Amino acid sequence: MTNLITSSSLRAENVSVWFGERQVLKDVNLVFPANQVTALIGPSGCGKSTFLRTLNRMHELIPGAGLAGAVYLDEQDIYSEAMDAVSVRIKVGMVFQKPNPFPTMSIKENILSGLKLSGRKIKDADQLVETSLRRASIWNEVKDRLSDQAISLSGGQQQRLCIARSLAMDPEVLLMDEPCSALDPGSTRRIEETISELAESMSIVIVTHNMQQAQRVSDQTAFFLAEEGMPGGVVEFGSTEQVFNGPIDQRTNDYVNGHFG
Amino acid sequence: MAKALANQPWRKANVARRLQIFVASLIPLPLVVLITITAHLNPILSFAGLFLPLQLIAASVVGYLAYGRRGVGDAVLVVLTFFFSAFVLILLLSVLSSVVIQGSRAISWQFISQNNVYVSPTTSLDYGGVGHAVVGTLLVVLLTTIAAVPLGLAMAIYLTQSQSKTRNLVRTFTQALSGLPSVVSGLFILSIIEATHIGRSGFTGALALFPLMLPTVARVAEEALKLVPVDLRYAALALGAPNYRAFFQVILPAAKSGLLTALLLGLARVVGETAPLILTMNPSSSTSLNPFNGGMTTLPTYIYNYLASSYETSQARAWGAALVLLILVGFLFGLARVLGKNKSIKSKASK
Repeated sequence: MTNLITSSSLRAENVSVWFGERQVLKDVNLVFPANQVTALIGPSGCGKSTFLRTLNRMHELIPGAGLAGAVYLDEQDIYSEAMDAVSVRIKVGMVFQKPNPFPTMSIKENILSGLKLSGRKIKDADQLVETSLRRASIWNEVKDRLSDQAISLSGGQQQRLCIARSLAMDPEVLLMDEPCSALDPGSTRRIEETISELAESMSIVIVTHNMQQAQRVSDQTAFFLAEEGMPGGVVEFGSTEQVFNGPIDQRTNDYVNGHFG
Repeated sequence: MAKALANQPWRKANVARRLQIFVASLIPLPLVVLITITAHLNPILSFAGLFLPLQLIAASVVGYLAYGRRGVGDAVLVVLTFFFSAFVLILLLSVLSSVVIQGSRAISWQFISQNNVYVSPTTSLDYGGVGHAVVGTLLVVLLTTIAAVPLGLAMAIYLTQSQSKTRNLVRTFTQALSGLPSVVSGLFILSIIEATHIGRSGFTGALALFPLMLPTVARVAEEALKLVPVDLRYAALALGAPNYRAFFQVILPAAKSGLLTALLLGLARVVGETAPLILTMNPSSSTSLNPFNGGMTTLPTYIYNYLASSYETSQARAWGAALVLLILVGFLFGLARVLGKNKSIKSKASK
């Protein structure tokens, strides 16, 4: 496990989260090295999606959310005074469970929307659109219809468009919250291939309920669990190989082998 | 038939049952008409009290014979649906047609463009018109809209986008305000006029319309903004958008057609208002372009003044003005729809 911690690009230290009075996460310590794919697995309600959102401060949109601990992006605490949520989210992109392209914009406008929304200048728009769509492996399908409405695409295409939209921002980290749970096996496979390619240039954190998917795409895996009436936390964290084939904790063993959850 | 099936592989919906019941429901019609004429009954009363029950019985019998007990329920619902749809349609058409028929006697280009100066109750319809009232209506409604739409939109944004604790209070007051009788709004502004000695003008009229338009715009706009999925807002924020950019570039365009509806319903709420304007504006016969000083007439107050007259030409002018108001509203609505046409509608339809 020690050999994984090399050039960490994202590191969570003692992250605890409360929604109002209720604590949902307790003392999460995880390291996401550069160019590695990390899978977060665990039963529903264990706090893994909430944890994912703390990595780009999206959890703050929920009223009453509070956080203790720190998240370091290149040794800079994203919750420090010097950082604001907007600049964090520019560096840490996010893909949601349900494809959410902007319905009033064309495919091209969707790709460029991130730059416009964050108030940055667009240099060579056409080149950026093509590069982003290619990286999300959807360029060949949409290159002749870039000015069509984004919602005219199929669900799987919409999700890859959303990935391309995040990539256009050139993020350092990409967070994915069950990106394939609403998609068919074909689209899922294409997105998994995309994830492997993207890992060459960024670190990726993916929440998934699909054990096979976690094994296929990730280098390391964290197993989250919330005991009855207790806040969620990490039970086991290590290389994917180890978590699935030789888990140390009995609960991890039960979960990855389908005995509960 | 076989050929048609080859061209159209889908199966037609079965309309035979509804058609049977519909035809059956029309069987008592000649009988009812005969009774109404011979007994000199009130036609509306005889249709509601005689035709509807007979219709229900006839259709139920046919439904029962054809399909058993389930046919009765089906027949009752079909008859009620047709009867009340027809009832509402006839009401609407009769209002429209009486305005068009009565109004077309007075209407001409000169009636729309000329004003009311030197027009007495007996002046022939060839002279004078409602041009001044058209201008007055447009100016007063424009003034009201300029104030009420931005503020109503701001209220809707506050109610949907913020997490402030006073939202429910604001929402309750908005709902209370939407129940405000228009004459009370007029009386309120009238008391301000009396207390401050500001002169009556188009502006004071617009002030009286403002509390009527504001809650309509705010509430409809709130519903429109609520319909925008929260996913879109999250998507925008996750891309590093500040709240205001997420709102203006993503949420606002997505809610565009609903917000346009808010504007139109707001316009519809005030464009025909009479009572508050009678209280807060001095009528004028000449065309006035200054809403801040002097008298000004709007179409509804013009109609009110002329309809009360016993002279036939005056009444014809009132009907003409009603038709002009109808056309004006139709024109404003059409204009708003064209200007606000959502380009995504096309691709949605073609999908």
